Amino acid sequence: MTRFSKIIKQREFRTFIFLILLFVVVGFINTDYLSLQNIDKSLKSSLIYIVLTVGMTFVLLTGNLDISIGGTLGLSAAVCGTILRDGGNIFLAVLAAIGIGAFIGLINGFGLIKLKISSFIMTLALLSITRVVQVIYTDGKWVENIPANVKELSKIDIFGVNLLSIIVIVGVIFAQVYLSKNSKGRYYTAIGDNVDGAISLGIPVKRYIAYSFVISGICASLAGLIFVSQIGFVSTNAGVGIELTVIAACVLGGVSLAGGIGTVVGAALGAIILTSINSALVFMKVPAFWNDTISGALLIIIVVIDALLAFNANKKAKKVRLNARVLQKEA
Amino acid sequence: MLNKIPKWNLTLFILIVVEMIVFGMMNPRFWNVTILLNSFNDFVAIAIIGFFVTLVVITGGIDISGVSIIGLTSVITGLLSQVVGINIWVSIICAILVGGLCGFLNGVLIAYGRVQAMIITLGGMLLYSGIAIVLVGVSDVSTYEGISGFSEGFSWIANGEVMGIPNAVILFIIMFIIAYILLHRTKYGRYIYLTGINQNTAEYSGIDTKKIITSTYVLSGLSAGIAGVVLTSYLGSARSDYGAEYLMPILTVVVLGGTLITGGKGGVVGTALASIILGFMQIGLQMAGVSTQYIGLATGGLLIVSVAFLGINPDFRFNVKRIITQKQNNGG
Repeated sequence: MTRFSKIIKQREFRTFIFLILLFVVVGFINTDYLSLQNIDKSLKSSLIYIVLTVGMTFVLLTGNLDISIGGTLGLSAAVCGTILRDGGNIFLAVLAAIGIGAFIGLINGFGLIKLKISSFIMTLALLSITRVVQVIYTDGKWVENIPANVKELSKIDIFGVNLLSIIVIVGVIFAQVYLSKNSKGRYYTAIGDNVDGAISLGIPVKRYIAYSFVISGICASLAGLIFVSQIGFVSTNAGVGIELTVIAACVLGGVSLAGGIGTVVGAALGAIILTSINSALVFMKVPAFWNDTISGALLIIIVVIDALLAFNANKKAKKVRLNARVLQKEA
Repeated sequence: MLNKIPKWNLTLFILIVVEMIVFGMMNPRFWNVTILLNSFNDFVAIAIIGFFVTLVVITGGIDISGVSIIGLTSVITGLLSQVVGINIWVSIICAILVGGLCGFLNGVLIAYGRVQAMIITLGGMLLYSGIAIVLVGVSDVSTYEGISGFSEGFSWIANGEVMGIPNAVILFIIMFIIAYILLHRTKYGRYIYLTGINQNTAEYSGIDTKKIITSTYVLSGLSAGIAGVVLTSYLGSARSDYGAEYLMPILTVVVLGGTLITGGKGGVVGTALASIILGFMQIGLQMAGVSTQYIGLATGGLLIVSVAFLGINPDFRFNVKRIITQKQNNGG
């Protein structure tokens, strides 16, 4: 029973309830929305975002920010796209993606640790640089004519569930277990919660910050690979502005930008919510141009409610502490 | 005289001179004064927002919602004047006030709701651009072509000139002076700095920091509104996606201008110089035959190099100082 009430109190549970609520409300208006087929579809369309949020959560947990993921996604999509188009092996493409992501993550980490640039500026600069590198690489052209067997990869079903979805879900669970159960994985949260404390505990803070950026870069470039497989072509502005949506998804899922708070599962739920709104509007026959307004308003409302709840909880805790002190004195 | 000017601003100024020489050698037309002055049109919107985002960043916050306030005010100007049929000047004022209102919403939620500025302005960015798209969608205007057919008086705002000086330059100077006086010559400006250096201390010394923070966001929103009107006037039609790609340049301009992203230090002069550097670079590269798509490489590199090595970074300055004093000690 205690375990159950513990789960209810968690922030992720509230996000989950919200997701369910969204499906139920839209399902009342249009029952097709609740069909398994549609749920599978919404999951499929949020895969790119989920993969990106996993990487972003690692970075956010340490108290940093990675805006370069959109550029990394575009670049890796372009490179993998050309490799696959020219008849390259799929494993070669995966390797290339991991290499690109790790390299960009390393540059980010280098700038942060050695040059002492704030993560926001460093990744912002890399975002614009990677975009240009993508344009130079593709010569400003779209990467098209990607072979059909690559596109088929995103459509393989196992027991009626999309293969890529299964891989991503397993990945999310793996990342969650690593972050919450593994002692090394706990380092990321510790760094974001209190850097000085983490240093005093002997955690190699700089190394783990660099790791977080490498992980985020790899996730972004793998998302690029999914992009190639799902969309089937890569334009020069693939993934433009995606970084802000991903941050929004993480925040919706309860990850704090100040670091130290949040889980991968919550962030992934946030990503699903943001993409579900998209399809929900279609099912409710609301014009698609309402999408941004609703996402933005939702983000602000949820964040403000969160802040108020946290403020009240803080106040209560302070009161309890004060009372305890007074009682101690009286005794 | 020289040591009164902050070193970083001097560096920026030298950078502008170097830029002019280099680009001028690549293409002598770059030295044409009319072309240079007219090039202000291309970045005046970035500069206007940059000035007031500088104030926000000095208080320790950040405002990325300006880019969508541009589109929103553009659409509102167009709708009020062309579809509803209100006088163009009244609709301009309404649009700018809406920009201020957006900024006010950001500011109140950030200062009084104690939410991180980045998140609120991110939500605001989605929300305001969303509202702009909804307004366009509801009013049955072509999203692609936008609302056009403005009067000549309106297009004079950005395209006209007074005594041979393009209006864009005049606007740039006026907004710069307003921001400069607010930040560097008034009590309000001192309060902004104090809030950014340490909000708690400022609070205890009797400054209403929440009001100060909110007001900077309002100013930033108003400036974004003005930028939206200027862009609409310059391009001759009102569209919801104006300014969508300005996020990078605005932040680059503020940071390159020497304002610390953590707050408490910086100035409007640096922002003005940095925006000129960025604007001239765009024009110069275009004239030198480089595609505009490659400008990101230059700005990104400039951003990293300037922050890492050129003295904006406080750690680096400390190191340099230590190295220099050590040398002097050894020599003496």
